[in-house]
Parts: sequence; C-alpha cells; structure tokens
Amino acid sequence: MIIGAGVVGCAIARELSRYQAKVCVLERESDLGCGQTGANNGVVHPGIDPPPGTLKARLNVAGNAAFPRLCRELGVPFRRTGLLAVVTDPEEAMLLPLSKLRAEANGVKAEVVEGEDLRRLEPALGPGAYGALWAPDAGITCPFRLTQALARTAARNGVVFELETEVAGMLVGRGRVRGVRTTRGDYLARWVVNCAGVDADLVAGMAGPPEFTIHPRKGEIVVFDRGGPAVGRVLGVLSLKGDPHSKGGGINPAVDGNLLVGPGAREVADRRDTAVSADGIRKVLDKFTRLVPALARATPIAAFAGLRAATYREDFIVRPSAHMDNLLHVAGIQSPGLAASPAIAAMALGQLADMGFSAPSRPDAVVAPPPRLFRELDPAEQTQAAAADPGHRRVVCRCETVTESDVVAALRDPVPATTLEAVKRRTRAGMGRCQGAFCGPRVATLIARERGIPLWEVTRAGPGSWLYAGPTRR
Amino acid sequence: MAESIAVECVLCPGGCRVRVLADRTEGARCRRGEAHARQEATDPRRTVTTTVAVEGSALPVVPVRTSAPVPRDLQAACVREISRLRLRAPLYRGQVVLVDLLGLGVDVVVTRSLPAGRETLLPMSNPASR
Amino acid sequence: MGGHPGGPGIVAVRGAHATMSGEVDVCVVGSGPAGLAAAAAARRAGAGRVVVVDRETSPGGILPQCIHDGFGLEEFGEAFTGPEYAERAAGDAACVGVEFWQGTTALALGPGPELVLVGGSGRQVLRPRTVVVATGCRERTRGNILLPGTRPAGVFTAGTAQRLINVMGVLPGRRAVVMGSGDVGLIVARRLHLEGCEVEGVYEILTRPGGLVRNVVQCLHDHGIPLHLGHTVVEVHGDRRLEGVTVAAVDADGRVRQGTRRRVPCDTLITSLGLIPELEILRGLTDGTVDESMRTGLERVFLCGNAAFVHDTVDCVTACGRLAGRAAARHAAGLRWPRRVARVEAGEGVRQVVPGALSELAEAARFHLRLDVEGFDVEVQARARDRPLARWRLRAVSPTQAVALTAGPARLERLRQDRTLAFVARPGKEEAGGRIHRR
Repeated sequence: MIIGAGVVGCAIARELSRYQAKVCVLERESDLGCGQTGANNGVVHPGIDPPPGTLKARLNVAGNAAFPRLCRELGVPFRRTGLLAVVTDPEEAMLLPLSKLRAEANGVKAEVVEGEDLRRLEPALGPGAYGALWAPDAGITCPFRLTQALARTAARNGVVFELETEVAGMLVGRGRVRGVRTTRGDYLARWVVNCAGVDADLVAGMAGPPEFTIHPRKGEIVVFDRGGPAVGRVLGVLSLKGDPHSKGGGINPAVDGNLLVGPGAREVADRRDTAVSADGIRKVLDKFTRLVPALARATPIAAFAGLRAATYREDFIVRPSAHMDNLLHVAGIQSPGLAASPAIAAMALGQLADMGFSAPSRPDAVVAPPPRLFRELDPAEQTQAAAADPGHRRVVCRCETVTESDVVAALRDPVPATTLEAVKRRTRAGMGRCQGAFCGPRVATLIARERGIPLWEVTRAGPGSWLYAGPTRR
Repeated sequence: MAESIAVECVLCPGGCRVRVLADRTEGARCRRGEAHARQEATDPRRTVTTTVAVEGSALPVVPVRTSAPVPRDLQAACVREISRLRLRAPLYRGQVVLVDLLGLGVDVVVTRSLPAGRETLLPMSNPASR
Repeated sequence: MGGHPGGPGIVAVRGAHATMSGEVDVCVVGSGPAGLAAAAAARRAGAGRVVVVDRETSPGGILPQCIHDGFGLEEFGEAFTGPEYAERAAGDAACVGVEFWQGTTALALGPGPELVLVGGSGRQVLRPRTVVVATGCRERTRGNILLPGTRPAGVFTAGTAQRLINVMGVLPGRRAVVMGSGDVGLIVARRLHLEGCEVEGVYEILTRPGGLVRNVVQCLHDHGIPLHLGHTVVEVHGDRRLEGVTVAAVDADGRVRQGTRRRVPCDTLITSLGLIPELEILRGLTDGTVDESMRTGLERVFLCGNAAFVHDTVDCVTACGRLAGRAAARHAAGLRWPRRVARVEAGEGVRQVVPGALSELAEAARFHLRLDVEGFDVEVQARARDRPLARWRLRAVSPTQAVALTAGPARLERLRQDRTLAFVARPGKEEAGGRIHRR
C-alpha cells in the first residue's frame, strides 16, 4: 500500500509492479502529481548542492545517473542541459572553488568557468555574471509526463490507483499497521509506504508518536512564453546571502520550450497554502532578472506556487517507522527529489525487502510509455497519424498543438484523467499562452462526452472545483 | 418630467454630458448629439439580444434579437419572456420565432442559421476526406 | 435583411467543398471578418483559386459569439448582430467563389510561402502563391499580468465567458466580479446580468473606462452594474472554486492605496485586460509590421484585421481585410514584391501606428493610430526628423478609440520624402477637455 501518487509514490509503485504483489496507491487528489511534483520546475539536479555524506547527496547523484535510461524506456522527454551556478559578486568568487570541492566530494563532475567560456556556455547571461560552477550532468524533464509514465506502467502491471481517496487513519495492532482508513473505506495492507509529501508527518503520526515534522516551504515559479530569451542551461545563483535552506531556484528552460523562473523559498504555516503572493513573484523576478536581463522584456504566461516538504535536518528520510514494523517512511523529499526519485524508489524497495517483503518477480512485466502526443511526432509521423485518425485532425489546443485524440487518450488512460487540470498535466492543453481561454471549454466538452456527464459536472481539479454553474436554458 | 435629465452621449468619443430640458438641451456639441440625448431622456430604447434553447442541432442555443428596439427598462422582462421559447432546428437567420413580444409590437428573430443534425460541429471538409 | 430568410450564407458555404490540394492563388488563414473580406476581395480582384482555412467548424471567427448588435453600420448601413454579420460576410465570400476549408488548423507557416495544415483529409503542406494571415487576436490573461492568489476554478477571460453563455449555453457562475472595463468585459457583464448571474461590479485600474461610452451606458448604467474606476483586483481567493477576490483602490502608478483593500465574495472572476494580436504563426519569420497594403516582411505573406492592429469595429477589420485581399490577388498574378522605402513610427502622444512601413508601390495609405491624448480639436502630424510632412485635424479623440487617417496621393508623396517618419499628436485646447495621458 503506497500513500501518495507523486513522482516518488509512482516510482515506487512502478518498481513494485515488477513483482507479483498486490499493490495499491492511495491519492487524495483527483490526479497524479498534484503536490510537489506538480509545482516542480523539471530540473534534474546534478548533485552539486547537497552536503556530502547525506542521503540526499547520494540519492541525487544516483538518481541523476539513472535518468537518461529511465526516460528513454518510458518515453519521457529528458535533455542534459547542464547547470551553471552563477556568482554575480566578485567578492563571492571564493564560493566557486568551494562548491567545486563539494561537488567532487559528491562524485559530481564540475568545473569553474569564467569570462568567455561562461558566455560561450550561456550567451543569455547578463554582464553581471562573474563566474560559475558548470555541472554538465544537470538535465531537464517533464515531471508530469514522468509521473504519468511511471503510473501507467505500474497500472498496466496490475497496480491499482485509488484517486480522490484521502487517508484518515491507520488501523494498527501489535506493532504493525493492519490497514489504512480512508475517506472511501478501509484498505488492509501488509506493508505500507508513506509518500505523502507535505503531509508525510501527519500520516506518520496516525501510526504512533511523532517521528519527524515537515515544514512546508513555499516558492513561486513564473512561466514565460516561448520566444523569450534563449536560455539553454539551467541557471542558479551561488551566493552567501541566499537562504541557506534552499538552493533558491533559478532560471531553466522547460522541455516544452517555456522558460521557468524561480522558485523562491519561505516557510509557511499552512500546508494547503499554494497561493501566489505578489511579494514572492517580485522577489524571484528581481533576483533572476539580474542574471538574464532580457527577462525584463519577456512575456509571463502564468505563475504558480508549490510547497516543498522540508524537515529540520533538511535530509531525505527513507527508513522504517520506529513504531511499526511494516511501515516505511519516504519523507522530507524536497528538491532534488525529482532527480533522486529513481534512486529513492530503488532504496525503498531495498528497505521493504529488509522489512520482510518478498515476492516472485513478474515475468510478463511491461513498460507502458504514454502514447506520444501529436506535437511530439515528426512531420512524416504527423501525416500518418492524421491520415489514420480523424481525431488527430482536430486541434483542440492551438497554443500547444494538442489534438482531440491526444485528449481522448488521456481520458482513457489506465489511470484516467478525469478533470481539466489532469488533461492539462498530461497533454499540455491549457498550459500555453492563452492559459486555456480557447481550449478550456473544448476540453471540458470532451471530458463530458467521454465520461457521459453533463458539461456542468466537469471539474477543474476534482470535487468542489466546479467549472460552470449550469445550462442557461433548461 | 423632472426639470432636466442628464444624458451621457454615446455617439462619438467626445462623450458629451448633455442636460435635456423641456424646451432645449445643453452641453451637446453637435446636432446628432442633441437628438440622441432627447431620445434618451424621453424614450430610451434598446435592441435586445439573447439566446433561445434549440433542439435537434449541434448547438444547444441559438442567438436571437428583437426586430426593433424596445423600451430600455423592459430589457430584462423581454429576455425572461424570450428565454421561455423552445425551438427546433433547422432555423434560418431572419426567421421570426415570436410575434409581438410582450405586446410591444416587435418580433423575435433568429440571428444565426442552424442546420438540423449534429454535422455543423464536424469539419466541413472536402469530399476526398469522406 | 429582406428576401429569403437565411440569405445566401450557410447553404453556399457548405456547398463550397473542394479538394485540399492543388494550385492555390490566395490562402487566407482565419475566417473571421478580416479573412472573409480578404478572400472575397481577392476573388473580386481576379484571383483564381482562393481558399479560407479555419479551425472552427463554421466561419465567422469570434463573431458568432458576439450576439449583441451594432456590427456593420459602415459596411452594410444597418446594425447587425455578430452572427448575422458573419453569415453575411461568409455568404458574400461564398457567392464570389471562395472555398472554405473549415475544421482545418494552420500549424505552421514557412517561406515560399508554405503552409502546414491539419484537418479535412489529414496533414498536408500547401504552397499557395500568397498567404493572408487573418488570425485575429487573443485576450490578455491573469497569467500575463501575474495576478496573485490561488488558482481555483471560476476565473474566465471575458471572451471565454461570452462563448460559454452565447454559443455553448452554459452559465459560468452565479456571482461575478469583472476585472477591467474593455468592451468585451462590459458586454459580458450585461449578458451575465441578464442570464441571472449577479455582477457585483466592474473594476477598472485606470481613471477612465477602457470601453466605449456607449457600452458603459448600455451595458452597465442600463442594468445598474457599478463601475469602480481607479480600482482593481489584487488577489484571488479560494482553493477549489473561486470564493472571492480582494479589490483595492490604486494610484496613478497602479500602486494599492493604503487601507482600501476590500474582500468581495464571488464565485466568478471575468478578466477583460485587453487584446493582443495573435501572431504566433509568424514567430521566428517576421514581426507584425506591415506596409500600406498589409504586406509583412515575409515575401508574399500578408497580415490583416486584428492580427495587424486591434481595431475598434468590425467595419474597420473588414476594410483592412479587403485591402490585404486585393493586394494578395495582384501578387498572386505576378506583381513583383516591393521594397520598403520608409519606416513609420509612433512619436509623442501616439501609442501605436499601423502600417509601420511604406513600400515603393505606395500610392495612398490609411493609417490607424491609438493616441495617448484626448479632447476635441486635436492635431496629428506625420513628421520627418525636423519638419512636419502632413497634418490632420480630428474633432474628438480618446485613448480608447482608434483613429484612421487617410493619405491620398498628394499627401503620400510628401510622406515619402523621408525614410523614417513619426506620427505625433498634440492635445487639443484645455478648455475643450484636451489632455495627454501618460502611461
């Protein structure tokens, strides 16, 4: 039993689906990856930041190394862009060799670049960039597509995904978790993996005295339209003045061509507080426009905020519960959790084995990459797809070139999208410059048709998020 | 009638603020504005446009209008009355679907042609694709 | 409207099927009023095969959802509703032999010109002699202005709300706040009100309405909807569905005035924040600058309608399309593509001017300007660096309404004396309400 269908929960589900075991994933939201995964900038960090010797450092480096193969196998976009951690103040130049030492201690390739070399690596950098640590192993991926591909593969191998199912308590007895009480009934389980993200401490608390606490740390990310400054690398800032609790975000290209700026970082009290604040936006834009001055003329198309699940020790927790023999915590997975996710999943499986889990491997295990989107096809393939399928001739989202068949495929997925947001995460319909002004009603119409419900019962992101009040004429 | 009625002229970007008195108007910069202001002050009228439920078509509603302007303060009543209609496709632009709306002497007219059946929402593609 | 109900419109359009291939003289992208006018004009000017591609299933662009009246006073001499205007214009184009490829999306444009289309029978590459881009405009969104707060359901652009209500028969919510007072926002406020959705108010950040006086009077005053000038929405609240917005008074620089924040409960926020020409298809090829005949910087490619300049009325859009269509027909017939001989810029008091260039073929031109001045008796000049080349006097102007200036052969001859000319506007006499707006 896995609690939480973020990228970590889905990666573990996928690993478990290689075995002949009954696996179920419980998710509170109506789609995969609605928490930290959904508010992620898609950077696959190289591992230059975590303090050497930490679990975070080890899993980050191992996870990063696993990414190219994983993404190829799952049909998920991944590009090694490399990362430049930039120093803007000459007085802080001594950070460069120090960071290089830390990177090397973590086993990460890194070198200090300055002047012409720096400009050659990233022509978009402004005059303020003094020097940088260059880590060629950094990359970018699409966190949604990765999570979806992992879940889809797991589901094809028999894993059950229970969405809109919130954990309300643990059924415990004699030092073991017997099952999980949810808003949709009780589930019995022999092993439970807690991947509940920002709420992982609350879930842990349902099984016994507190073992750790999570402090939500909020950050805003601003999305810029394609056609803005051509930034080819992941850019970060190295500074003594930064927040010591976070790498403090940066500027990075997304695999789909947008530019993402942020996130910043500040502690918040409310675990649901994903409101974007004017102050937060201003801070990230001020900070990073100094790095790439052309940003000042770029067009923002959206801003969102996410919560990172930080613990006091600032390290990942992948260990059995102190109180329950069959409960595994996978918690405190903040950045670079995406990069680390493949290694976290492998480690979680090792831990489960230590806790007594064993099952024969599944000989017929399949890999089920999501169907390729029309946009991702080359011209000849597009011609073929459009000839074969009328649904590929109807473009639903023009900004991102998403066809009706792309949307329908997401709605018929083994872990089906059921809401506007879910379709958006899987197809990008509505993520473009018009932010769904054009495609929103069209996608909603397709959802209604596929699910056999009236248009006004379609939601944005699950119960309570109704889109329309009703028909104007009954 | 009150001694004077203030009217904001809508005929040009000037947006004159006109005072209409029983025997004259003040503040208009042109003749058309004077006439418009007097009409607005004495008998303001609007063309009402809304939609009507339609069956047997790709769209659930069809747009309609009044054949002539109706008294300004009866717009909401007109929309309420029109919204009670139920139509069936096909419908043609210009087709009268309600005669003498609320006894006002104006009709309700369809403003968009809607063929019967669902095919209008499919691409009107070429025969080669059929 | 007289005659046979339905006029020549939809029947003729549906009869105009043809094979999506072969030689095409003029391919128009977009079947809104600009595209329809361009296509009809191209045929009338002698173009052989003229095709309109459009992603929608029926022609008209945004017009079918604009069910209010007031369209076409100049073109047809009567006040049509949007759907009526669309059918008239489509019928007109069909009557002169324009082909309609509805349900067809133009994915990409390339030099040649070359168009990648998907729809009809599949995906294909078309190589027409000329291309007219008439893709209209899109709405600025809350994302573009980075409006803070949560991201619940219930935030719609005015155009989306209009489509929902008028075409899809769906009510977006039950209590709405409208942010921005552009024309579409005002018109949608009235529709919401008449359909039973309470409109709490319209909030406009500037000290004057963004839309026409006519719409302020007829959409808001008529229905008792409050207009709050110098106010804006500063935050969005609600986790799943919108629960409210915070509104506040702002100063001239857009900063919130202390102590004026107020939370307004509502389940719907309609944004009317302005229109942006939709030029995506030109990205990486050329910018949106056109010459006097709507030629772009890309050979044999034209741009017209709201994609070139956000016009105030459909009549202006139609005229603009016609201009492009006529020129496209001439170039399809072999007319050499001209050089640009002068650049046209916006100077003091002028926010925007189109066309932004004059070609060597220019004999006359019609300039569309947005001004930063308002008042009566305003003078606009076209200036070379040191001297005025031409002057126009305007009776009444406002920043919310575009002005059109015509330069006949004599004036144009003078304008072409310099390689760069700038339009400037001076506010009229102060007693006549003249003043200049600073952005």
